[in-house]
Amino acid sequence: MKRALILLAALAIPTAAAGHHGWSSYDTEQVLRLDARFTSVSWSNPHGHATMTYRGKQWHVVLAPVARMEARGLTPAMIAPGKRVQLVGYPRKDGTTEMRIERLTAEGKTVELR
Amino acid sequence: MEALLSGYAEWIQASPFGVWAAQSSLAYPVANLVHLLGLVMLVGGIGVVDLRLVGAFRSLPPATLSRALTPVAIAGLLLMIPSGSIMFAADAKSMADSATFQRKLVLIAVALANAILFRAIWGKRLADWDTSPPLGGKSMAGASLVLWLAVAAHGRLIAYS
Repeated sequence: MKRALILLAALAIPTAAAGHHGWSSYDTEQVLRLDARFTSVSWSNPHGHATMTYRGKQWHVVLAPVARMEARGLTPAMIAPGKRVQLVGYPRKDGTTEMRIERLTAEGKTVELR
Repeated sequence: MEALLSGYAEWIQASPFGVWAAQSSLAYPVANLVHLLGLVMLVGGIGVVDLRLVGAFRSLPPATLSRALTPVAIAGLLLMIPSGSIMFAADAKSMADSATFQRKLVLIAVALANAILFRAIWGKRLADWDTSPPLGGKSMAGASLVLWLAVAAHGRLIAYS
């Protein structure tokens, strides 16, 4: 039983924190300011996301929870694929082509996502 | 097992339920709150019973305490199932791929088996628990507390792993 408890305690320790959502996994020293057009948009929980081509590569773009985007006046139509949007965000520290968006301007309206 | 989970994940995320869970501005945050309430009731309920059974709060009669708090814990668990299903369905594919979520499912299964076995083996011994507290029963009560806390920790850590 004691051995089982130790095993369970070990199970409870999370493995290497890869930190997909953790703030610390994005490089806030390196601010990206982009004029972009999304290639796809997922208006979804726990947070919206989109894809875009940036410097010849496919990037994953992390947006905000649906309720927050809606509360701040953003609509799926404003950021639909192909429409021009201005983004301010941070890239992943580990070099993955993923950026977390701080604020976004679409149809002349600037929306804070954090 | 993993293929089964990821196949199910793909199906549920694409289903009308999954689409609603992902796109509704209310579903996810409300599910999150209900899940947290369920967790508080589950661990707050059974955790106190577990502590009593391993030897804390000696002045409280174990059988009475268990009768009062076990239903609270079960109600909490019942709240967690639909709310957890909503959050799973909204983001099922990445959930199914998450090692933390997979471990959480295993821990839930072990914790439930432990709870059911405890009731089957020791359920009738609660009234005279303190006269000769069975070591096996105390161990299972201790394991229950550790297991449910581990389940809770894994749930919270899914977003960070």
